[in-house]
Amino acid sequence: MKNFFFTILIFNSILFSQEKNHLTNDSLFSPYNIKRFADFLYCQKDYLRAADEYVRYLGLIPNDTIEFKIALSYSLMNNYDEAAKRFNSIKESSSFYQPAQIQFLKSLFQSGNYVQFRNKYSHGTPLNDSNDCGGVASLYMFSFLLTDEPLPNEDEFLMKFPALEKIQMKSFYDWKKNPPEKSSIIAAIFSTIIPGMGKIYTHDYSDGIFAFISTLGAGYLAYDNFKAGHNFRGWIFTGLTAGFYGGNIYGSAAAAQIYNAHIRFDFINDLETYLEDNNYFLKIFNFCK
Amino acid sequence: MYNYFQFILILLTVVSSKLFSQDILENQYNYALKLYIREQYYDAVTEFKRLSLFDTEKKYEYNANEYIGMSYKMGAKFSDAILFFTKAEMNARNNEELFNSIIEIVRINILRRTISHAYDLLDSLKKDERFTIKSAEIDYWKGWADIFNDNWFEAAKEFSKVDSTKFLAEFCYNVEKEKYSVSFADILSHIIPGAGQIYTGNYFSGILSLGWNTLWGYLTISAFLDNRVFDGLVIGNLLWLRFYNGNLQNSVKYAEKENLDITNRALDFLQSGYSGKKP
Repeated sequence: MKNFFFTILIFNSILFSQEKNHLTNDSLFSPYNIKRFADFLYCQKDYLRAADEYVRYLGLIPNDTIEFKIALSYSLMNNYDEAAKRFNSIKESSSFYQPAQIQFLKSLFQSGNYVQFRNKYSHGTPLNDSNDCGGVASLYMFSFLLTDEPLPNEDEFLMKFPALEKIQMKSFYDWKKNPPEKSSIIAAIFSTIIPGMGKIYTHDYSDGIFAFISTLGAGYLAYDNFKAGHNFRGWIFTGLTAGFYGGNIYGSAAAAQIYNAHIRFDFINDLETYLEDNNYFLKIFNFCK
Repeated sequence: MYNYFQFILILLTVVSSKLFSQDILENQYNYALKLYIREQYYDAVTEFKRLSLFDTEKKYEYNANEYIGMSYKMGAKFSDAILFFTKAEMNARNNEELFNSIIEIVRINILRRTISHAYDLLDSLKKDERFTIKSAEIDYWKGWADIFNDNWFEAAKEFSKVDSTKFLAEFCYNVEKEKYSVSFADILSHIIPGAGQIYTGNYFSGILSLGWNTLWGYLTISAFLDNRVFDGLVIGNLLWLRFYNGNLQNSVKYAEKENLDITNRALDFLQSGYSGKKP
């Protein structure tokens, strides 16, 4: 009986220890649970913490899917520089190499590093782009619209876009080739000849009309006061007229620059909206099904 | 006898595994709490989220979400904080926890100036019979909502309902008294150009405004007296009226700016000099 009881105790302690070991291995910081937690965070869109947990997991078990997910997490946080670095570090032997290279190029594009993007695209590994929504080749051409470098010729440019997009892309191309900008010099000359005309040239109609009336009004008052013998007042209005006249010339030149900045901003905005609307950066990797 | 020992054996194994699992969660809770206390809020959120994922029995669900919300609040991530306080609210185990999580949501709404949400929540708490005994606390937070809504007089009224917040009531009354009347500044400047600016303590601007209006007013009137009607109309419209209008806008702007300074000074004082609960 004594032996039996002892055997039971030993058996129990072994079992308990096995259970304990099982729990320890399966503890909150076991590789399996770290990955589980990282996936949970990723699907909750807490990408920064997800990336941290994936990195922790990677320190224990090498895994190219996890490497890809880390890069994707940074991309989803709009940290494109880090994403590009991570995508580019995925080895050629990995099954994620091709998508990683595509995402690498897209990250370079999204980080605004257009020159490097074009270099890597032109001299990098040939890509099988058939599964890539949007297409890096189109982005390659698109990048010319966003920089001040010479545009490729029109046919070469349009060739890379699907038929449905060609009309819109042609209008972007034409805009970039001949931007409808206003010349500061012409605006200033117009306002020198007729006060306010430079503003009308830059489409600031109300400013132009007001500049015309105020310069003419002040000029007339100067003339009228001199004529009535009120020389002091005459000089006040002469100064005022000169101020309006000079200010209007300067203002017209500035208005042309503001106009140009405005249309350039609108153009870039249109391009970005177009990229978004046409799913150029659509994330086709859904790890949260 | 053998069956009896077998039963004991199984029981020991099951209980010990269960106890050990609870130990892990308790340790994790304590670890996350330690991070929170050390003000390592980023790590605290991570560890509370880990706890929340593995706490299948939802024993720590309320506390984990509450602390995640607090940590996000400390990092000024107010929308995230509200999300987790709402989760805490849904997992509240009693009225006290429910009340606390709603009050935390109210405090966040006050901080991020979505005051109407704060008012709505406080009103619904006030109407809820479960929280009748919390009436003083509801009034207290209503007072803070009024402060952040720049309604110092209403705030004073709320604080004066409770003895322990009489100091705050007096403070809010004083702030209200110190503030300038925007409409009075406007009326003064209508009557005497520059007087509104002088009323708000901006003497230089007031005198300058008075000077310009006097000059253009004089030139306009003298042009009419000399029968130069066109001159009078042009000077009056293009110059005097513009300066007069500018003077009116200026007086309102200065009164609002001075009031903003007074409010900001008061909020600064409350932030550093008031030791009671703050949003």
